[in-house]
Amino acid sequence: MPESLNAVIDALPYLLAGSAVTLIVVVGAMCLGLCLGVPLAVGQLYGQPAIRRAIGVYVWFFRGIPLLVLLFLFYFGLCTALDINLSAFTVAIIVLGLISSAYQSQIFRGAILSLPEGQLKAARALGMSDRRAIASIILPQALRLSVPGWSNEYSIILKDSAVAYALGVPEIMARAHFVATRTYQQLPLYLAAGVIFLVLTYLGTKGLRVLEEKVRIPGYSPQGG
Amino acid sequence: MEEWLYISTEVYPALLKGFWVSLALIVPSALFGIAIGIVLGVLRVYGSRPVMAAADGFVALFRGIPLVVQLFVWYFGLPYLKIYLNPFTAAVLGFSLCGGAYHSEYIRGALLSIKRGQMLAAQSLGFSTTRMIVSIVLPQALRRALPGCGNELIYLIKYSSLAYMITCVELTGQGKILASNSFRYTEIFLIIGACYLVMTSAAGVLLGRLEGRLRLPGFEQYRG
Amino acid sequence: MTTPVLRIENLSKRYGSRAVLTGASFSVNKGDLKILIGPSGAGKSTLLQCINFLVQPDEGRIWLDGEEVRPGHRRALCTYRQKVGMIFQDFNLFDHLNALENVRIGLVRVKGIARDEAGERAVRELTRVGLRDHLQKYPAQLSGGQKQRVSIARALAMDPKVMLLDEPTSALDPELIGEVHSVIREMGQGGMTMIMATHQIGFARSLASEIIFMEDGRIVEQGAPDRIFCHAENARTREFCSKITELYGETR
Repeated sequence: MPESLNAVIDALPYLLAGSAVTLIVVVGAMCLGLCLGVPLAVGQLYGQPAIRRAIGVYVWFFRGIPLLVLLFLFYFGLCTALDINLSAFTVAIIVLGLISSAYQSQIFRGAILSLPEGQLKAARALGMSDRRAIASIILPQALRLSVPGWSNEYSIILKDSAVAYALGVPEIMARAHFVATRTYQQLPLYLAAGVIFLVLTYLGTKGLRVLEEKVRIPGYSPQGG
Repeated sequence: MEEWLYISTEVYPALLKGFWVSLALIVPSALFGIAIGIVLGVLRVYGSRPVMAAADGFVALFRGIPLVVQLFVWYFGLPYLKIYLNPFTAAVLGFSLCGGAYHSEYIRGALLSIKRGQMLAAQSLGFSTTRMIVSIVLPQALRRALPGCGNELIYLIKYSSLAYMITCVELTGQGKILASNSFRYTEIFLIIGACYLVMTSAAGVLLGRLEGRLRLPGFEQYRG
Repeated sequence: MTTPVLRIENLSKRYGSRAVLTGASFSVNKGDLKILIGPSGAGKSTLLQCINFLVQPDEGRIWLDGEEVRPGHRRALCTYRQKVGMIFQDFNLFDHLNALENVRIGLVRVKGIARDEAGERAVRELTRVGLRDHLQKYPAQLSGGQKQRVSIARALAMDPKVMLLDEPTSALDPELIGEVHSVIREMGQGGMTMIMATHQIGFARSLASEIIFMEDGRIVEQGAPDRIFCHAENARTREFCSKITELYGETR
């Protein structure tokens, strides 16, 4: 057993450098997903019928196709066909971000729908335009309610990011596999990778819980009140 | 014409083969996964303290580690302990255990949402604990867990593509081979994507129908 | 003759085949307090919400200060709504903002007033409704009566020409009704033009310049309080008034 332990210890700095790559991919994808997800949710709820339908198709597309297939489609397919030179790393962020935008839009949509109708009415009664009311009244509340959903989304994207290994992105899994095939210490290294993911999940959800507490409205519970 | 020939003689048969492999991965994994999920869910709610803790730990582990890592452990890692699984078996094992952990979350939540009076009534009629769980509690809890578990099954359809990464050549794998040979990545992966869309959408419709059929008047499905 | 502050003509609204409001017409002069009474479902709330187009009326015209409102024109509609204050039955305070911010947001975001100046104005309005000590509290930390007073301050801060009050006390516990009534009474003494729907008959009778009785989406009768309560022409009005007097005790 000491042999396997040594292998893991030797590989640890290399694996931890991989977790930096993983985290950049995850944070990048979540931010992209947020930036696209908010307008998608707003469009799906308040947009014209044609826009709603288009967003519905977008969400259906990105939720219905496996990540691996989308990674292959974008990296080997579209990037070559359209002659765009993107690194595997960038493609991983984009694809994970697009998928996440579809899921995040549904988180926001649910949050917006859970707000009482009176909020929008009161904003209109003050003379706010609908756009202003959504920006100043609806979204600040909906975003707060979405934090628990993000926590979930974070742990999903974190785990999904391991699939980026298929494109050769040097994240945790790719590095663990690389060392494993050279040292023949497969099981210890994969388990080490698993532990790193567990730790990252734990830290991330903990951080988001702190955020949730920080943005909480005193006395307010989403169930009503 | 040439295009059509390529599609009908190469693409179609390969994808059909891949589709059957995918289906052969998905169906048993779904069944085992739900079975494992029910057992784990029941243990996590009604088990003795050590059993509960063990089941909770199992679930935390399998939900916290990426499925790819788990698959690698089963396929590339187990030989380290002189256990050799073929890619197909390793994939089904990985999908079932991971899926079971997720299903157990929904089933646990559903079990906890069953009103205490239901159990008191069963006990007052002389039901044993096991009998009560099987005949009274689970039929209610499974209805409540169905939407969540159904979502998990749709995830399984998508995640079945990861079997390709441990060399099990299913739909995605066949696509990768075709694309690498013909360099038509975009077309091939769009077709593959469409196949998955059909599968996930069909599963969604079927699950919706199942939910409708099992719906009881006045029994709130989404509570708890 | 002076122009009325608000004039509505033939306002109607139907949902499918059900008419919830039919041909409502009246005008309100400066400083008037018109009170809408009538059984639940009579269309009082719909009428008020139609007046500032929170519910889109199917037909009808509205004039504010002699100028006709064009609800199809978005900018004009927002300007009109600034001049018409609305008080809701269930307050509708913005849940993510504290009392001060609730009053300030309309000034900053709609009127474009600088934040500091708007803040001062908000403090003044909240002081006026007796909430000087609760500026930093969030809606969930306030009682129903306090919430309704914040919502009145929020509407007053916009300098409305007319206020619409949709049963402002019906979601309140009985012991909290008084504090809201006294704020409304002060508004009336300050010369605010108001249209209010309420079931508080005693309050209505003591304060109203005119009572409008509605039933089944129609205005049945309107007139001075004493006439409506004691000498109503319409049999339905008389019946309603005697029933409600019986229910809520003395009318005065």
